[in-house]
Amino acid sequence: MTTINIQSITYKYGDRTALSNVSLKLTERRIAIVGRNGSGKSTLAQAICGLIKPDSGKVLVNDVDVLNDRPAALNTVGIIFQNPDHQIIFPTVAEEIGFGIRQLGASKHDAKTRTVEVLKRFNRMDWADRPVSNFSQGQRQLVCLMSVLAMAPKVIVLDEPFSGLDIPTKRALQKRFVGLEQSLIHITHDPELVRDYDRLIWIENGEIAADGTPDAVLPDFLAAMEAADAGFDL
Amino acid sequence: MQSKENDLVLIALFAALVAVLGLIPSIQMPWGIPVTAQSLGVMLAGAVLGAKRGGLSILLFIGLVALGLPLLAGGRGGLGVFASPTAGFIFGFPVAAFVTGLIMEKLRFDPTVASGIASFIGGIIVLYVMGIFGFYMLTDKSLGTSISIMVTYIPGDLVKVVLTAIIVGALAKARPQSLLSRH
Amino acid sequence: MLALTSDIPTPLHKWSAGLKLALMSGAIVTLFWLKSPIYLALAAVLTSGLYLSFSVYFARIGLSMMRPLRFLLAFILIWHVVTGDAQTGIAIVLRLSTAVALANLVTLTTRLDDLIDVTYRMMSPLSFLGVSPKPLALAIALVVRFVPVLLTRANQMQLAFKARSTKFPTFYIILPLIMSVLDDADHVATALRAKGGLDGAYKP
Repeated sequence: MTTINIQSITYKYGDRTALSNVSLKLTERRIAIVGRNGSGKSTLAQAICGLIKPDSGKVLVNDVDVLNDRPAALNTVGIIFQNPDHQIIFPTVAEEIGFGIRQLGASKHDAKTRTVEVLKRFNRMDWADRPVSNFSQGQRQLVCLMSVLAMAPKVIVLDEPFSGLDIPTKRALQKRFVGLEQSLIHITHDPELVRDYDRLIWIENGEIAADGTPDAVLPDFLAAMEAADAGFDL
Repeated sequence: MQSKENDLVLIALFAALVAVLGLIPSIQMPWGIPVTAQSLGVMLAGAVLGAKRGGLSILLFIGLVALGLPLLAGGRGGLGVFASPTAGFIFGFPVAAFVTGLIMEKLRFDPTVASGIASFIGGIIVLYVMGIFGFYMLTDKSLGTSISIMVTYIPGDLVKVVLTAIIVGALAKARPQSLLSRH
Repeated sequence: MLALTSDIPTPLHKWSAGLKLALMSGAIVTLFWLKSPIYLALAAVLTSGLYLSFSVYFARIGLSMMRPLRFLLAFILIWHVVTGDAQTGIAIVLRLSTAVALANLVTLTTRLDDLIDVTYRMMSPLSFLGVSPKPLALAIALVVRFVPVLLTRANQMQLAFKARSTKFPTFYIILPLIMSVLDDADHVATALRAKGGLDGAYKP
């Protein structure tokens, strides 16, 4: 069982507080985090992966201090960002997948073998030497998923990976996520995607507004969104 | 948070920017040294990233040129560039970025004015001294004549200094955290 | 992005990159040491012969790489003829064009990967100073990544500019281009950290 222990995290951007003393203990396999734009949910996602240094508090994933023990964090947590263009570093698919494997200490040769295994698992052998720049948004997200899975983390954080995708692409990608053995923490503002998850956490203004099963939390969340909609203007 | 990864990515980004600026059509001068937008990239790298990162960024750029990537204006590249009469300018690029960055770090007043001064000294004076010295060494020609040819480039380079100053000034207002030469 | 390495196979493609670089450096130092136009002409003939021995087509590629130099070399020659020192002029032109041709020969016959490997090996004595080739390997990959991103973004911005203006956009878009790629750079740095960044085990 995977345990994510978030211990009273506070994070500030300048004088704006993105997360205010948030504590959570997560053990479920499918967890959703919902909230409006700017609620602090992406900041929480990055903190769970140890990518940002909170002003106070810490995150332990399976007892690994993900911020300070980076080598151990690498095959503990993986993240898929909203925009694949922000995530993909290398020009070809094989290089992108192979890099993460080599960061875990594999030799050039082993990395190649394992890259091929991942491509095979997704039935995308012909992608190896293709330049990512010619890919569609959905294909790029799949490259991101493959390169994260290649590092075999215990937890994968999804930071709204479906935004900007058309419906068939979204469903095709979602199918890939459903079958994963890893624990998923899915950040989203689309409640339809996470209706059958084990647990749903609603973040507002950097604090936990509600926490429970989707059935318990979603009605209140949707009601609050409708209420915010009335009279709301940019 | 300015991590080592941020530094590395910015160094690579400005090297790529100089390469892309080489694609803006250049004005070919009869004696072979084209007027290009690339030295604008050199000035910007120094003025924005500061001495060390700016210098490394442009060093990375000329390293890639040496490895055979056709990144210099007009698709030039390869080791031959470093044996040609204009090699002094290419070797001068990273030095120019370093000096521009160093002056930018020292002059703590208005970033528009400071980057104008810094890129004038780094991107024109330092670059020309190295370029002319290289020309002189490689062609045995009287130093005086070399200088007279170079004068034709000054107007174009002054435009680049002004552009650097405008861009850095605007960046200081809109994205002060990215002006690493001031941190 | 393609390197300038030629696809036309030559025996030199099989030589090690280090050996070619050493020979080229030796040859260029010798060229600058030679003063007599006769020896320099001999070197030029030998170099041209070397190019031609691989194929006429290969020699033509070599010649096209020298094209940007033609006016400069002509200028140097004319200058010396006018000032009454034609001999020096001929020597300089022969020396420079031969040196450039030899250096280009290494570029034309050596794969980018091999040159990168030589660079790492040349850097390895520096490792005791704390200089590691790993950032360099990552930096090269990142430059190759950023060039198409910058071009695409520049094109998008030119279109957005043209949609609302009749002016030609080149210089107006440099600032917004830099701003937008600085954002991009932040994201890439985060992605790099997510995969272990510079603390990861990756070795070039």
